[in-house]
Order: sequence, then C-alpha cells, then structure tokens
Amino acid sequence: MIKISDLQKVYRTEEVETVALNHLSFEVKEGEFVSVMGPSGCGKSTLLNILGLLDDPDGGSFIFNGTEVAHFNERKRADLRKRNIGFVFQSFNLIDELTVFENVELPLIYLGVKGPERKQRVETVLDKMQIMHRRNHYPQQLSGGQQQRVAVARAVVNNPKLILADEPTGNLDSSNGNEVMQLLTDLNEQGTTIIMVTHSEHDSRYSHRIIRMLDGQTVTENILV
Amino acid sequence: MFKNYFKIGWRNLLRHKTYTAINIVGLSLGIACAILIFTLVTFHLSFDRFHPELGRIYRITTEFHDEKIDYNSAVPQPLGESFRKDYTFAETTARIVDFPNSLITITEGKDIKKFQEEKGVAYTEPSFFDIFNYPLLKGDKRTALLNPNTAVITGSLAKKYFGTADPIGKTFRVDNKVDYTITGVLKDLPPNTDRKQDIYVSYVTMKQRYSWFASDSSWQNVYSGSQCYIRLKPSITPEQVNKALPQMSNKYYSGRDAKIWQFRLQPLTDIHFNKDYDGYVDKKYLWALGFIGLFLIITACVNFVNLATAQALNRSKEVGIRKVLGSLRPQLFWQFITETTLITLFALVLAYGMACLSLPWLNELLKSKMELHLLDSPYLSLFLLLTTILVIFLSGSYPGLVLARFQPILALKSRISQASIGGFSLRRVLVVTQFAICQALIIGTIVIAGQMYYSKSIDLGFNKDAIVTLPIPINDKTKMHTLRDQVATVAGVEKLTLCHQPPASASNSNTGIVYENRPEEEHWYINMKSADDQYLNTFGLKLVAGRNFYPSDTTREFVVNETVAKKLNMTPQQLLGHRIKTNGGTLKGSIVGVVKDFHNYSLHSQIAPICIMPDYTDYVSLSIKVNLHNTHTALASFEKIWNSIYPEYFYSYHFLDDRISEFYEMDKIMLILVEVFAGIAIFIGCLGLYGLVSFMALRKTKEIGVRKVLGAGIHNILWLFGKEFARLLLIAFLIAAPLAWWIMHLYLRDFEYRITIGPGVFLLAIFFTFLIATLTVGYRSIRSALASPVKSLRTE
Repeated sequence: MIKISDLQKVYRTEEVETVALNHLSFEVKEGEFVSVMGPSGCGKSTLLNILGLLDDPDGGSFIFNGTEVAHFNERKRADLRKRNIGFVFQSFNLIDELTVFENVELPLIYLGVKGPERKQRVETVLDKMQIMHRRNHYPQQLSGGQQQRVAVARAVVNNPKLILADEPTGNLDSSNGNEVMQLLTDLNEQGTTIIMVTHSEHDSRYSHRIIRMLDGQTVTENILV
Repeated sequence: MFKNYFKIGWRNLLRHKTYTAINIVGLSLGIACAILIFTLVTFHLSFDRFHPELGRIYRITTEFHDEKIDYNSAVPQPLGESFRKDYTFAETTARIVDFPNSLITITEGKDIKKFQEEKGVAYTEPSFFDIFNYPLLKGDKRTALLNPNTAVITGSLAKKYFGTADPIGKTFRVDNKVDYTITGVLKDLPPNTDRKQDIYVSYVTMKQRYSWFASDSSWQNVYSGSQCYIRLKPSITPEQVNKALPQMSNKYYSGRDAKIWQFRLQPLTDIHFNKDYDGYVDKKYLWALGFIGLFLIITACVNFVNLATAQALNRSKEVGIRKVLGSLRPQLFWQFITETTLITLFALVLAYGMACLSLPWLNELLKSKMELHLLDSPYLSLFLLLTTILVIFLSGSYPGLVLARFQPILALKSRISQASIGGFSLRRVLVVTQFAICQALIIGTIVIAGQMYYSKSIDLGFNKDAIVTLPIPINDKTKMHTLRDQVATVAGVEKLTLCHQPPASASNSNTGIVYENRPEEEHWYINMKSADDQYLNTFGLKLVAGRNFYPSDTTREFVVNETVAKKLNMTPQQLLGHRIKTNGGTLKGSIVGVVKDFHNYSLHSQIAPICIMPDYTDYVSLSIKVNLHNTHTALASFEKIWNSIYPEYFYSYHFLDDRISEFYEMDKIMLILVEVFAGIAIFIGCLGLYGLVSFMALRKTKEIGVRKVLGAGIHNILWLFGKEFARLLLIAFLIAAPLAWWIMHLYLRDFEYRITIGPGVFLLAIFFTFLIATLTVGYRSIRSALASPVKSLRTE
C-alpha cells in the first residue's frame, strides 16, 4: 500500500541545515499495523507528515496505492487525504467551537456527503466509539480519553484505508490509553492499515512491526507477529 | 457547508465578545454614517429632477460683463415676454416673480384672520405649471392663473386658511392691497425642489401692485426674485440659444449697456448646485461628504482587518485541523468570508437603525425633510448591497487569505508565530491610514471652526450687537417718523435709525454710478444704503474724512466708504465735495464724508463700494440700539407702539447679529457635520487601536515578563507600546498634514476674508491625536506593565 524509497527531507534556515529524513526507504502492506519509534528529533513526525500528505519530501519516491504522490500539488494531496487517510493526534486536535457530533461530521462535509447520510454515518461511528451520549457536548466538556475517542471517531468516519496516529496515548492515563489502543487494534482487525508514531514500548506491542529510527534513517525493524 | 461555516462563525463571535463588539460597533457606526451621507447626497442630487423633459428645461440668467463678470440668477422682468416674441427656440416660456414676507388677510364675515407668510407670494404665468411638474389637486393648470386676481395655493395652506371648507372661489388679500380669488389647489410641493412658495398669483395682476416694475420697459434693473424659465424644443440645443441671446442685449440696450447686459441659459439641473447664482449647495461639498463617508467605512474595515489578522493566531489550530481533514484554501477563505458576512450583516442592521434614529437630527440641522425608506428606494437598497459587499471583501479577504495560507503542520503544533502570519507591516500601514484619515478630519475641523470663529469675532467695521430691527411695512413718512419718535422714548433705547437695511444684509441694491461729469458710468456698481442721519451713529460707522450728511428726507449729500475712494484712485480726503449720480441718475449729490470700510456682505465676498444717503422712500426698517439690561421690557414696548401705528400689519422683529450669523449657515452646517464625522472616525480608530494594543499586550506578555525579570522599569515597558504607536501616528501625520492643508486651502478660497492655516493648526491636531491615542493605549499598556513577571512568564 505504501512504498517509500530514498526519501529525503531537509529543513533549511539561513544558517542551519537540519536533515530530517536521510534517504529513508520502507514499505507498508495493506492491513498492517506499524509502529514508528525513535528518540525526539529522529524524523518520526516528519515522516508521518509526509505519509499524511501534509508535507512534500525534498527527494525520493512515495508510492501510495500504486500511484507516485511525492510531487502532488496541494489540491490533489487534499483530495487523496480526505478520501484515504484518517489522523489521530496526541493532542486530539478537536475544534473547540464545534460539538462532538459536528467535529466528527467535518470530514464528511469536506467529502461532500449529503446531510441525512452524514447524520447516519456519524451516529454509527459515535455509537461504535460509545460516545453517542456525548454528541452535543463541546470538546472542553469531555475527559482526555473521551476526546481521543471522538478524535478516533473523526479519523474513521470516512472509512479511510490508512490511519496515521501520532502518539495517540501521549496525553492519556494508562487505562484510557489502553482503551484507545484497543480501538485502533479493532480497526486494524477490520482491515484498516495503521501507522503509529509512539514513544511507548507498551503501545508499540499492539502493532505487527516496529520501525526504529535515528537521525532520519531506519535503524532496525522488529517484526512482532 | 455554509451551515457549518455559519455555525462556527456564530460561535466564534460569541466566544470573542470584545473582538466582536469592536468590529460590530465600528462597522455599524461607519455604515450608519455612510447611509446618512448617502441619503443626504442623493437628496440633494434629486432636487428638481422630477419634472418631465428635464434635459430641455433652462433658466435664463443675467451676466454683467464689466470690470469683472457678475452673475445673477434673475432677469429683467420684461425679458421673458420678449424672448417669447423674438425667438422660436422655446416650446414654453414662463416668468415668475416672487416677493417674500407677505401679509395674507382672510375675511370671513366679521372674522378677520391674518397670516405672515415668510415665503411670500409668486406672480406667475400658467405656463409655469406646464414646465414644472407641480400638479393641481383642484382646478385646471392651463387656466387657473389666466385671469387677473386669481390665485393657486397649496393644499396644506388651504387647510391652514380655510380648514376643511372647499378653498375654490374663496378670496384673500395680500399686503392689505390686492384681493385674489382661489382658482386652483396645488399638491404640496415636494421637499426636493428649490421652489418654496405656497401661493401663486396671476402674473397679469403684478401691474396693480408694482406698475413701474411690471412695465414692459423696465429693462434697466434686475430684481433677484424675477426669473424666467423655458423648455426648449427638442431640436434646439442650448448653444444655439446662447449664441442668439446677444441679439437681445443689442435690441433692448444701447451703448455700453448692450455689452454689459448678457443673458445665458442655465440648465435646471445646475440650479441647486451653482453658487455663482443662487445654488443651495456646491457639489464639491457633496463630494467632500461622500469621501468622508467612504473614509469612515474604510476606517471601520481597517479595524476589522487589523483585529482579524491579529486574531488569526488563535484560529490557527482550527485551520490546521480543517486542512488535515481535507479542506482546501478556497474553502477556508470562504469560511472566513462567511464569518465576515455575519458580522457585516449584524452591523448593517444596527447601522440602519442608527441611521433612522439620527435622521431627524440631520433633518433639523439641514432644515430638510429627508426620508429613509429601504423598500421604497431602489438606490438605497443598491447602495446598501454594494456597501455590504465592499465591506465584506475589504475586511474579509486579507484575513481570509492569511488564514487559508497556514501550513497545517505548523498550525497544529501552534508553531505559527506572529512573524510567520506576516501582515504586521500591513497592519501598520492600515493603522497609519486610519490615523491619517482621523488627523485630516481633525485638521479640517480646526480650520473650519477657526474660520467660523474668525467670522464671528472679526471687527465687521460696525456695531452689530444689541441691535433690534423692526419692519416699516408701508412707505408713509408720517407713520415712520411717529414710530421712530415713540420708540426713541422707550427706556433702554440708546440710538435708532430709519434705513433700508443695516450695514450688512442679505438684501442689497446695487446700481451704476457716475462720478462728476464723466460721460459714462463707472465700470463697477455701488451698493446703496439709504438711511437717515443717525445711521452712522447707531451702527458705529467711523468717518475717516469729512462729516455725516445733514438730516434730510431726500438725497442731497452722500457718505461713501473707503472702497469708493480706492475704486476712483483717490484718497478719502480728495473725494470730499465731488458730485456723484446713482440709481440711473435719480439720486445725486455731493460726497460729504467717507467712512472706514465695513463688511457689508459675509466674509465670502469682498467689501463693496458703498454710498449712504437719506431717501425716505426706501426705508423699510427701523434699527434700534438697545441697552441689553432692558431688552425684555423694551421689546414689549416696541410691539405695543408698532401695533398701534400699523394695526393692520403683522409685527415682527429680529436681532442683527442673528441675521449676520445666517450668512454662515452652510458653513456652520459643514462644521457640525465634519465635527460629528471626525468624532466618529476618531472613535472607530480608537476602538481599533484599543483592540490592537490589547492584542499586542497579550502577545508581549512573555516579553514583558522577561524584560521585567531582567530589570526593566514600568516606563521601559510603556515605551515598548508607546514607541510603536508614536511612530505610526507621526507617519500618519506626515501624510495627513499636507493633504488636509491642500483641501482646507481650497475650502478657505471661498472666503474673501479668511484665516491663514498656520503651524498652530497642525500642532493642535497632532497634540489632540496623541492625547486620544495615549488615553486609548495607556490603560491597557499600564495594566501590562504592572503585571507581575511571575504571572506573565507562566502564561506562555
């Protein structure tokens, strides 16, 4: 599903040049659950941004579902992203001015899904995440675990093929964290590919494979299953 | 999609109440002023636009081509008839002569009702109602004024005179002299016409009252109320007529007069605006107001853009999320535009309300009857629509672009800095624009107010205070002497004089002058002021040479002013003893004295050459210098005496200084309007400044904390804010000062006697702006400066 080869990303300011990704290559197959680990500054987040089509690489190739996407323009990237990729962030990133329902509904609005169908799909996913009773609450009225469940609901409501999770349990206590990891595992079992950046060895054990990075390169790959 | 935009927009507005309030209040004030200005400007532009075949209606005017060209909106009374006979250019020609201040008497049985009609009566021909669209409610406009002693009055006047009774066939008497029978009732004249009279009487009747004036040979004088309107045939151009009109001068004047007296067409659409004639308002003032309105809207939009870009940081997370979820730049841009639309629509509703509430005030100020009906006026609706769109895009597009441009990764990680938003320099440019507008308006206000103060406080060369003027309704020598002698005995009366008009008056008569035995008249006109020998004394006119004329009822001696000496290239002393003839030779005598120049017109005009001479046939007022302590009782005695002498007339009085201040009515109105609009611009500017400094304080919390930890004093912190705004205000001043100087220089050019725009005006303006800015910025800055650094540092 994903094949990156020789991927490079360099951040330049006037005086400093920071190599974030240094000729990185790997592959992720459909249905896999991959963890990416490594110390701060090793390039994990840059990698996730490029995989999520939020950023361009400076060199190398990125093949998504058989298409070279490394040099897509903004419009094409946005289109590919909203149809295929769901995001889960450490800090949840819910819009404070929208209710739970409206936050989850947002991707469907951008996909152009009609009102009644939207309602039904949002309700289904909220039900699945067991936060239906909180549908009219605002994010700041929810606990961290509930907020992350909403974020996961939002990530999956458009049935993406790929979920990118950036330290999804980083802001949660262990019981809420486990709950979220279980949600991701369930999704994976239903066929969704998941790539998760994490610092937590505990969380990484939910995945099939761990890619360890240092200074923008893959150091090792552990296959867990 | 839009529902979502509206929802989030609405909630954002509720969440940031201060920001929302600043924007809505600012925008609504700006738009409300724009609505009022639009109403005012369109009201004036609509004057006399409702007549059919508007483009073919002209007024014939008179030009005097002598030393300089003088313009007069009126024509010699016989001109209309001659034009009708001599030329075939016009489809219709109509003469109208109006005389203000008429006494109307209505006798019903033993009941006698009297009305003093300030607007007076107009003598006119039936064709007048053919040219102008003033419909008759009753009667036939073609025949109503055909016969002598017939009249047409407006519906509301008919109601005032006769109540609900049918006015047709009723009679009334004008100035106790001539009776008229009502043959038609006019629909009330609309407010947007320059024709104000409510009473129209048949032209042929004029001979009964003013036989000399009404004669076909009175070509040598122009009375300002005597006008002639024509409607050209469709095939005729005004140029053709203007080319042919000199033939008329040649036919009815001889010698030098044939060159001096020239006639020209003035389009009806020009009448309301042409100050060379009797125009009410110069179009340039309307333009100025229009620009002020535009500036007010721009000022309000500037606030919006400033606050919105400053606020953009707070929105960065939302933008990031939306982009991650697949939103495109255009979608984010339109989302922001939707929010702006919400604010603008709110402001619009509020603005319309404010405009409706303040319209009566504006009407009172302008003595007009403007109306504000959104649904009835397609122009207003269109204006509001365009204004709304303009405001939305002026204010919404830049912040929208800024927000839509955010990089999602940076936005999500709150790593977008104020610097990366950019727009800081744009915000500076906008604040400079806003303050340049405010300062220009402040300078304008100071200059106009200065000129008004100058007009009020300048020594006019005569005494205008505590002078009461009573009318002399009929030219009866015995009665006027009785009035003078009896009034003189009233306690509190210091001096008094019988005269035509006081030294400065809106009513003037100018005539040619022949010096000694020169073969022809001088190339300038002399302003005649007939008065008795107490005139100089009562008004405090100062003799610079010779003596006052001796008491007399008829003209044998003249006193002239210094300008006459200048015009004749002589010293005042040299003039004494020389003979002059004026008024077509009917008044002659020698110059016995020369008075110091005094302002006989408003300061808009130059002092005229003036002669003062006794001529009781021309006395229409008694001017009385009273002791202000006794005014009240004195006025009561005047009324009693006057009524006993002129029981059949209507008593009235006025103070001279009131009349003189009427000269500056338009200037006063402009001053008030500019003051109000400048005040609003400043207020809107301050709102924006307050918003901006609040935002700056928030952004700088950490910087302030660090600086304080490192030992900065409160004054250092205050200067952090102060230097930024001081610099912007100075730049604004550098832009505003020359611009305002130039515009106000043009304004002052309308005054022959005017103030000079000195550095004081600019110093005052900049001091005032700094004061306001300091007050606005001060509170917020001091609060930031006083905040504990521990707290400041914790907030980041």
